[in-house]
Formats: sequence, C-alpha cells, structure tokens
Amino acid sequence: MPTAVRSASPRRNGITKLTNCRLLRGDELVWDDAWVSSITGKIIRSQSAFYEELIMPDEVIDLGGRIVSPGFIECQLNGAYGFNFSTVTEDMAQYGKQLRDLNKKLAQTGVTSYLPTVTSQKSNLYKKVLPYLGPSGASRRAHDGAESLGAHVEGPFLNPTKNGIHNTSIMRVASSFSDLEDMYGAANITPPSFSGSQSPSSVSDDTSLSSSSPITSSDIPIKKITVAPELGAMTSLIPELTARGIIVSIGHSEATYEEASTAVSAGATMITHLFNAMRPLHHRNPGIFGVLGVTETTSRPYFGLIADGIHLHPATVKIAWHAHPAGLILVTDAMHMVGLPDGRYPWTNGEGEHFIVKKGGVLELEGTGVIAGSSTTLIECINNFLNWSGATIPQALKTVTATPATMLGAQGIKGTLDAGADADLVVLSETVSDDGGRRELVVDEVWKFGVKIFEKGHENGRKSSLRE
Amino acid sequence: MRFFIKEDAAAASAHVANYIVDRINHFGPTPAHPFVLGLPTGSTPLGVYKALVEKYKAGEVSFENVVTFNMDEYIGIPRDHPESYHSFMWKHFFSHVNIHPSNVNILNGNAPNLESECVQYEEKIKSAGGIDLFLAGMGEDGHIAFNEPGSSLASRTRVKTLAYGTILANSRFFDNDLDKVPKMALTVGVQTVLEAREVVVMALGARKALALQRCVEQGVNHMWTLSALQLHPHSMIVCDEDATLELQVKTVKYFKDIEQVARSQGFEQILPSKIRTGPTKVPTTVVTDDFPAATIHSPQPTTSRLLRATPASEYPLRSRSPSPDCVSRHLRTSSDTEQTLGTEYSVISRSTTPDFMPDRMASRIGDPALLRRTTPNPESQLQLPIMRTGVRV
Repeated sequence: MPTAVRSASPRRNGITKLTNCRLLRGDELVWDDAWVSSITGKIIRSQSAFYEELIMPDEVIDLGGRIVSPGFIECQLNGAYGFNFSTVTEDMAQYGKQLRDLNKKLAQTGVTSYLPTVTSQKSNLYKKVLPYLGPSGASRRAHDGAESLGAHVEGPFLNPTKNGIHNTSIMRVASSFSDLEDMYGAANITPPSFSGSQSPSSVSDDTSLSSSSPITSSDIPIKKITVAPELGAMTSLIPELTARGIIVSIGHSEATYEEASTAVSAGATMITHLFNAMRPLHHRNPGIFGVLGVTETTSRPYFGLIADGIHLHPATVKIAWHAHPAGLILVTDAMHMVGLPDGRYPWTNGEGEHFIVKKGGVLELEGTGVIAGSSTTLIECINNFLNWSGATIPQALKTVTATPATMLGAQGIKGTLDAGADADLVVLSETVSDDGGRRELVVDEVWKFGVKIFEKGHENGRKSSLRE
Repeated sequence: MRFFIKEDAAAASAHVANYIVDRINHFGPTPAHPFVLGLPTGSTPLGVYKALVEKYKAGEVSFENVVTFNMDEYIGIPRDHPESYHSFMWKHFFSHVNIHPSNVNILNGNAPNLESECVQYEEKIKSAGGIDLFLAGMGEDGHIAFNEPGSSLASRTRVKTLAYGTILANSRFFDNDLDKVPKMALTVGVQTVLEAREVVVMALGARKALALQRCVEQGVNHMWTLSALQLHPHSMIVCDEDATLELQVKTVKYFKDIEQVARSQGFEQILPSKIRTGPTKVPTTVVTDDFPAATIHSPQPTTSRLLRATPASEYPLRSRSPSPDCVSRHLRTSSDTEQTLGTEYSVISRSTTPDFMPDRMASRIGDPALLRRTTPNPESQLQLPIMRTGVRV
C-alpha cells in the first residue's frame, strides 16, 4: 500500500522544471515549461518522461514570467578578464588555468558556448595554444562554465591592406593546403581519421602528456577560419577546409563582389565582422556585402556584426539586418580588456609589444587611432541591436542562439530549447527605460548542462549546490 | 439530476472547477484513500482545466492524491502525436499540476492487445475503488466519450469504430488528410461512466442545444447516449445559456428556480456524505442467504430494517429498488469492506417485475391451523416463500 508522499520520493532524478516563463521558440516567446536534467545535461521531452518513465521533477522553479533563452553563442572572442587567447605563457599549464577561469566568468554574461579566437600570429603560437582551445564540452561539467565549440583562427591568411590592428608583417599567402598545416600544425587542422595521409602523432602526444589538454581524439581544435579568399590559392582551398568540418569565413579582405561570390560558391558560409576590415559597399561593386543579396545560384552566407555602437553606425546594422535577417550573428570581437577598468594594456600582435588604451567602451591601438576590437559583452550588443533594428526580442535572441548554432552545424544541440538539446539556458528579465525608449534585457540566471551556475545577486557561494 | 444554467461558458467552467475543487477538498484524499477522477478531452472542458490549473497554482487544491482515468484515446497514432489525448491532457492539465504520473490512467491506443487493454482498464478502475466523479462533455449528437449514437447503454470499455462524420470532422486536426485521421478509438462505455459515483456533464454553446434537449427532456435512448444519465442517482449537468436554446422555457425556469431557492436557503443539493467522502468506513448493506425460520411469528417492519442499514438521512446505496422478495431475507449491517461501493453500483438495470405472489396476513402469523381453516390449499401457499429463496441477485 502506498503510504509515503509520492513526489518526495528519495530517488532524485536531477530534473528541474522551469515554469511560468516564456521560452524562445523560433520567432516567438511561448508560455511553456522547460524540463532540464542535470544528469544528462539536456532538455528533456517532458511528456515522454511523464507518461513513460513516470518522472516528476525534483524541483519546480517559478520564473515569474521571465524569458528563457538558449545560452548565447559567441563566435568571435579574443579574450576577456585580462586573459588573451593569443598569448603564450612560459608554463602552458598556466594558460589552461587562466582559460578555465575565463570560462567560469564568461558564463556569467550568458555566453554558454563560444569560439575562442586567435588573431594573426606566428606559427609556433598557434601550435602551442590551439590544443587548449578545441571543443571542451565532452566532459559536460556544468561548473566549468562556458564551453568552447572550437577555435576560430582569424589569420594570418588575410589581406595586409585590411589588417585592422593585425600585424601585416606576419600575414601569409597560402598556395597549398600544406601552407595551412604548416602554419597551424597538421594535428590542429586535420582530424586523425581524415582520409588524407596525415599522422595524428602530435595530437595523441599532447593528450597523453597532459590530461588537461582539451583535445579529444575525434575532434580538431579549429572550428572556424577567417581568410581573405582573393589571395593566393585560398578560394581553391576552401573545399579542403569544409571537408574537415571547418567553417570558412571571409574577412580582413579586399575581395570584390565576384571574388566573394566565388568563395561562397566554393563553400565559405560566413563573413567575419561585416563592414569592418573590408571594402565598403560601392554602388559599382558592392564587394563582400553584395553576397547578402539574393541570388539564384548560391545560398547567402551568415555574417557577424559588431553592434557595440563604435564599430558600426546603428543604421548600418539595420541595413544589414534587413538585407539578410536569417544570416545575422551578433559578435563582440571583444579583447581581453573586457571586464577590466580603463587604462593602458600591453598587447602583442606577433611582433614587438604594443599598448591598447581602453577608455570607456572604446579600445584604440596606442598612437594609431585604429579601433582595436571591442570591450563589449554580448548582452550589450543584443540590447543595442534590439533598440536599433526594431527587431523583436525573439528575433534579437536568435542572432546569438539558433543562427550561430546552425552556422556551426550544432543545430538541435545548441541554440535551441527543443527537447534533446543541451540544457544551456539564460533567464532574462526585460526592462524598459523610464523615458519609454530603450528596451533592455538583463541576464538574471545562467544554466549550463541543466545546472544553475549563475544567479544575479548571488554571484558567490552557489557552488555548494552542485548536485551529484 | 442537478442542472445548472450559467450565463456563459466561462461561468459554467468556473462552476464546474469550483465544484471539483470542493469535492476533492471535502473528500480529503490520502495516498491510501485517493480521489478518483474521470476526465474528458475536447474543447468543452478546456475552461475547466484552465481554472483547475489556476486553482492549483493559487494553492486551493492539490492533485497529490488524485487518481485520474481518461475517457478515450485514438488507436494507432503515436502517444506523443500532438493530437493524441495523451498530448492533450499533458498540454492542458497534467504538466501544470502536481499529479503523479503513476496516478494517471489513459487508455493505450498502441497496446499489442487492444481488447485486453480495455478489460484491464475496467479492472484498474475497479481496483482504484471506482470513479468518484466523472467529468464529461456532451457531443453534438448527444454522445459521451466515443459512445456515438446507437452505442449500447450497457457498454463497457472497448474498441470503437468512428463514424465517418467524426473522421471528417477530425481531419482538420490532421492536415485535412483523411488517411492520417485515426479510424478507431478506445473508449469507456456508457455503463462505465454510469458506474461512477457522480457524473458531471458540461454542454456549452448553441451547437449542443438539441443534444441537451434530448438528454434532459426526452427519454432514455441509445441514439442520444448521454440520455442514460437520467438513470444515474447523482448526475449534474452544467450548461451555458446558449445550450438551452432547444429546451422548454418551463424546464429552464424550473431548474433556475430550484437553484435560486436552494441558494437562498443555504441548501444547495448536496450529495450523501458517503458519496462525498468515498468508499471507506461506510457500512454497507449485505444480503445473505441466511434465512429465518419459514414461519414468522410477528410481522417484521421491512422498511425499518433497510433504514437501519443506511441512515435515514441518506439515499440507499443500491440503485435497484427493493423488491418484495426482500421480505423473506435476512438483512444485516456490515462495516467490512468486502463488497466495495463500486460493485454495489454495478447493478443498474431495470428491476425485474416481481412474480405475482398471493399473500395474506394470515400466512404471516405462523399458525398453520389458522391457514388451514380459511384457505383452500394451505400447503402450497406455505411452500411459496421457500421456493423463492433460490433467486439471487
């Protein structure tokens, strides 16, 4: 005879039900519940769990009508909180430690997965740091914080005339795929199981030497590469890259409309920070921006936009949004100064020491007046975009969730609240400024793999709630 | 029959939701003594589910110890298909309240053996102690669950083929593709519903007016299966004004008057307390085969014996009217629960017409001499009560 109160069953199933909330589903916010499991780290199909496994959630959390979005995906982040991915520490174990610290802090901004970005550097730096920057989600430990989906190498196969603050003297022109392998290290760009003749030796060496190395045997660290397709044989190398599962992005480039179109036909699916470090739109040759126009033959690429209020005029953001809403991905291109106070910070671009001056949200390479990346956060970019473009909240959130996930081939796993996806969530509250103007989203809570890892106002002391 | 006419659909839904909440709370369900609720699907009960969820969230009711049985389910569509009744119940009710999944019972339209699924479902209802309250909607043709016109009023849970009209009407939920529409369903029978201790039926909107009129003002008829409700001792219909369009003014006025008077007296028709609190700790009347001596020396008042079994303030449990043969039976009061209330209720049928039995006061006195003096064939008359003892329920 059942005598105990049933819902207080001693066997915990690790399932939390988030209720009284609006879930981001496609282009709508839907009043619905989300069931997440801290054991599988996934969003679960609640109806099946109920009828088939007779499961009731351990905990029900009333979110008071707030918005639940999939965790944000950042596709271009150079560093944060004083740590720059493009640096080599004397003891590389220190690099791993700083990276782990960054991941924990980054997650608190709502970014639950990202592409750590390495700018144009010398070969030996890539070879040293890339093994640390590969996909890190396999362990599925919630309290590790933000998860790398793979590294983004932004250079050095770029056009020296569109260098931004990258060092022109280390930029290279690739004439064959071996040039890329020489630059990044073959093991970092070609999977061991790839049908080519590459040996996986250095990968397995790394993993056996240091268990903290994030490489798993089936993955390569590089997920995305920014190239100038008009240089050397790069356009013809694009299929080689995409065959390895690497996203090819056009950027820091002088490509004409025709060259960019050819690159897109060859398999480039992304444009790195559209408008910045490329030819401006000219009415007689629209350049890279032109490929956002609808064509009959090629599909339009995705494009990153830095909506920090400095890199782009709000009207420019709006034009790009209306040109191709489904391709827009907000990125920060933030430097390691994000999260640090104003000041003068050392920075290396592969040759000599330079300084970047941070003043408010503006970063400038000292003595040049050139914008040196941003020090914005993704949620700030979302809020800017929300107010500039007239997009709805779900449309704005989509640019950092479903769209980048699809771009990266992680649709159904990241960037969605559908059952079966990873339970990376951001709980947002919505405010409107008193003068009736600006709409703001505020990151209230961040969940990773079904576990709450951040709550606004409870920044410290939540780690003890780690569930078995 | 209790019949409430409310201003609109929202008021009718609120009335039913309030009533269910009151019933559950008065019942005081515990794990060992759960409240058993029968539930419908369809557009009619949506408002009730919404109100119940709100009341749950407001802390007015808990479904912790509520067991539910659903009326029906399609055959051959996946359980998680958006149009399945599993999905309907999950979407509109179960996902929002604290009901435990093991307390939820819905027919499995994908069971390997559908027939045994039906038999087991009836068994499950019985082992749960019978249904305390069955909520139902009313079809336009007066059907209840999938018991479409012509279904036996004695039907039980079974496989039912859907009428072509129903399939056509359902096709709007299946991309307007007739091939995708389920052609068969599992459904509880009319008798299964009638065995519930209480049945609450909702009829909303002008489209239900004719069916409501047939079921309330006309006779019991298998073409309007819900009319069988007239045979139920504790039934309630709640409708909105639109659904009364086909009723006589007299009918509407009568039931509205009743409701008004009852409310002014603070006496809204209430259920017998044993129905309200469920089947436990209620003495039941058991008819045994023990007979007293054939000869009765002094007349025994039959009615007072029946009343002793069930307090005078309450209805007798059995729906069958006491037949004259009770006279010769020994009645005893038993508080043991060998016979559950559910089985007591299982006999709802027309009572058999008693055989003609010539009887005289002289035969009850017990002095054969008296009979012999006044009756031509006293021996044969003496045998009569004894012969009838073979008749059992």
